[in-house]
Amino acid sequence: MDLAFSEEQEMLSKSARDFLANRCPKTLVREMEEDEKGYSPGLWQEMAELGWLGLPFPEKYEGGGFSFLDLVVLLEEVGRACLPGPFLSTVVLGGLPILEWGTEEQKQHFLPKMCKGEAILTLALTEPSARYDASCIQTTATPEGDEYLISGTKLFVPDAHIADWIICVTRTVKTDNPEEGITLFLVDAKSPGISTVLLSTIAGDKQCELTMEGVRVPSGNILGQPGQGWEMVQRIMQWAAVGKSAEMVGGNQQVMEMTIDYAKERIQFGRPIGSFQVIQHYLADMSIDVDSARVTLYKAAWKLSEGLPCANEVSVAKGWISEAYRRVVTQAHQIHGAIGFTKDHDLELYFRRAKAGEVFFGDADYHREVVAQQLGL
Amino acid sequence: MDFLITEEEKAFKKEVEDFVQEVFREVLPPDWLGVDPGPEEEEREDVYPLAAEVWRRLGARGWIGLNWPKEYGGQDSLAKDWILKEELIYWGIPGMDPAVVQGDLILAFGTEEQKQRFIPPIARGEVKYAIGMSEPDVGSDMFALQLKAEEKEDCYVFNGQKIWNTGIHHADWCVVYARTDPNAPKKSHGISVFIIDPKSPGITLRQITQMTGLGAFCEVFYDDVRVPKENLLGEKNKGKDVSMHAFAIERTYGLVILHNARRYFDQLVQYCKEAYVNGQPLSRDPVIRNRLADMAIEIEVGRNMGERINWMTSQDMLTVIPSCQNKIHGARVAQDLSNLGMQILGLYGQLDETSKWAQLGGRMRHMYLSARAWSLAGGTSEMSRNIIAGKYGLGLPS
Repeated sequence: MDLAFSEEQEMLSKSARDFLANRCPKTLVREMEEDEKGYSPGLWQEMAELGWLGLPFPEKYEGGGFSFLDLVVLLEEVGRACLPGPFLSTVVLGGLPILEWGTEEQKQHFLPKMCKGEAILTLALTEPSARYDASCIQTTATPEGDEYLISGTKLFVPDAHIADWIICVTRTVKTDNPEEGITLFLVDAKSPGISTVLLSTIAGDKQCELTMEGVRVPSGNILGQPGQGWEMVQRIMQWAAVGKSAEMVGGNQQVMEMTIDYAKERIQFGRPIGSFQVIQHYLADMSIDVDSARVTLYKAAWKLSEGLPCANEVSVAKGWISEAYRRVVTQAHQIHGAIGFTKDHDLELYFRRAKAGEVFFGDADYHREVVAQQLGL
Repeated sequence: MDFLITEEEKAFKKEVEDFVQEVFREVLPPDWLGVDPGPEEEEREDVYPLAAEVWRRLGARGWIGLNWPKEYGGQDSLAKDWILKEELIYWGIPGMDPAVVQGDLILAFGTEEQKQRFIPPIARGEVKYAIGMSEPDVGSDMFALQLKAEEKEDCYVFNGQKIWNTGIHHADWCVVYARTDPNAPKKSHGISVFIIDPKSPGITLRQITQMTGLGAFCEVFYDDVRVPKENLLGEKNKGKDVSMHAFAIERTYGLVILHNARRYFDQLVQYCKEAYVNGQPLSRDPVIRNRLADMAIEIEVGRNMGERINWMTSQDMLTVIPSCQNKIHGARVAQDLSNLGMQILGLYGQLDETSKWAQLGGRMRHMYLSARAWSLAGGTSEMSRNIIAGKYGLGLPS
């Protein structure tokens, strides 16, 4: 057992933190919440040049040849900095499935462009039912010659408005078993019949309503085995849940540090509030959430990265981190008092993102049900 | 980064599992539901001989103090020590003795003579230890302790009183904290630590019944008790150092609590699969599923924290902060779990093991009572929070 970062991970983590502290100040984060696109193309190119967009992809696709665990180390810093934009969408929701299930031709076509920052990807999974079970996939793909016609409405699709390609989860066959007959397509986002409407979300991130009306997709754009898509979705959900958990762990850490600093500086009754036992105990409890979240994240990420069975570990991580982060940032607000309640203070950025992260790819209740199933209940 | 265990550790785990089978076959009565680790439940008449037998068998296998250096009978393997503890605690096998922890202290602070004298009998499973820290007026403020140890020509003479000395009535030795310099400028400076024979003339014990109904707590009165000078552990008046080390060890109790809780949890899960309410198993009830899964997550997270502590220890990193964190977490989990168990059992939860109507052998009722102690023993959760907030942790101002 070795729970320390490798030398490479150490460097990745530190250089990412420094880079983002410099290039992703909170002014940019706020500006991007108001911005239509929601990301800075200039910064996106810099990230491509740093090798971030290709980090966990093989070198033959212009990637960096790192592991999923290494990506998790980077995502922690992304979360710490509140980096706006389609990083998780492109790399985790789009890139990893193509690498895992794409044909050689698909990989050659998509991955190098993605690694170079020339293609933004995302995944269209959820629909107006806003749930993550198979029966909710109502969007249909109907064969017609060499093509399929996709129709339906996807909701809460991250970054669809700027995506070049969208992995769309559709139903190609309807049987009594909702997990059967699901097929994933690589859809050109500029295809006729596609329209996106931006949703106004709590975290100011860019999620869309994606409407598809008879969108024509060549059958060569099927990702993986037709009809076997639900199994793929399960795996994508694990990557996504762990990836988002990593961002949340980074945010959690940042909130903790901000709050300790504030408790040391803020004077009331002639002494720093951090000298009061009640504040000390709040912070001690927060530290338990922060530190336990990190090791629990790594356990899940390591297993997922190594290809070991990890349904339980992933759900333990996302379930725990979703609520631990909320507890920490809630308590941080209590300690910061009125200043933290203002739009000018950074804390509110994290508070809103903590809630968005909580509901992304399964909230704690969703993951508790997975754990219950693992217990054989 | 990896969470792998080595082939050697895997092989040892198998050996331990075989040992557990052996104990179930040859030592424990059929339908054994387990007891909590430590001297409290060994107080039961039917449990004490079982504990002694397991302790003896552990000694015979050379499995006491697996984390100790080889020259003192150990295998220098913290990982193996935890593999063993994890299994014994999970199965609720009695015989996990605090002697091992006191052995750790003797190895850290004892002279060579003391190590040679005190360690081998522990390793052979022949002796039991207790701890003497608290006093009637000294709880969390432990450096205010008053038990007087006066240095004479040939010995120290003890006068005063200790309390909450768990299991000392069965112990061969007790590690006792006493004041050797009443005039020290700081109250934490005049304290020393001794290894005392509880059967020494002048020591009187009085058992105190805990709210579980068990009598493992003792009040200890010292009346001109003569303790040989060679029984001083560590330097005179430097007992604070020993105590800090002892606290650090005690707080790995978080993991002990969690492994113990896992047994209760699995029994509760089984109960929910078998108990029918309104024509379906309780386990189908979405609220029950949610709450059981919540506990499963809390336990798993605590185990992850514990794994990290053990890894840090193996790297000689300071673990006082994560240990405090895990102790707080473990205590909370045990208390929440027993509360959940009692709620699920409803009216049945009231019954103890003597009732033919008792569910889960009345164990959940026991846990509900005993779990109150987890946030008190070995340093209260509040003291743990103070330590986390302080100079070794978050660095908050005093």
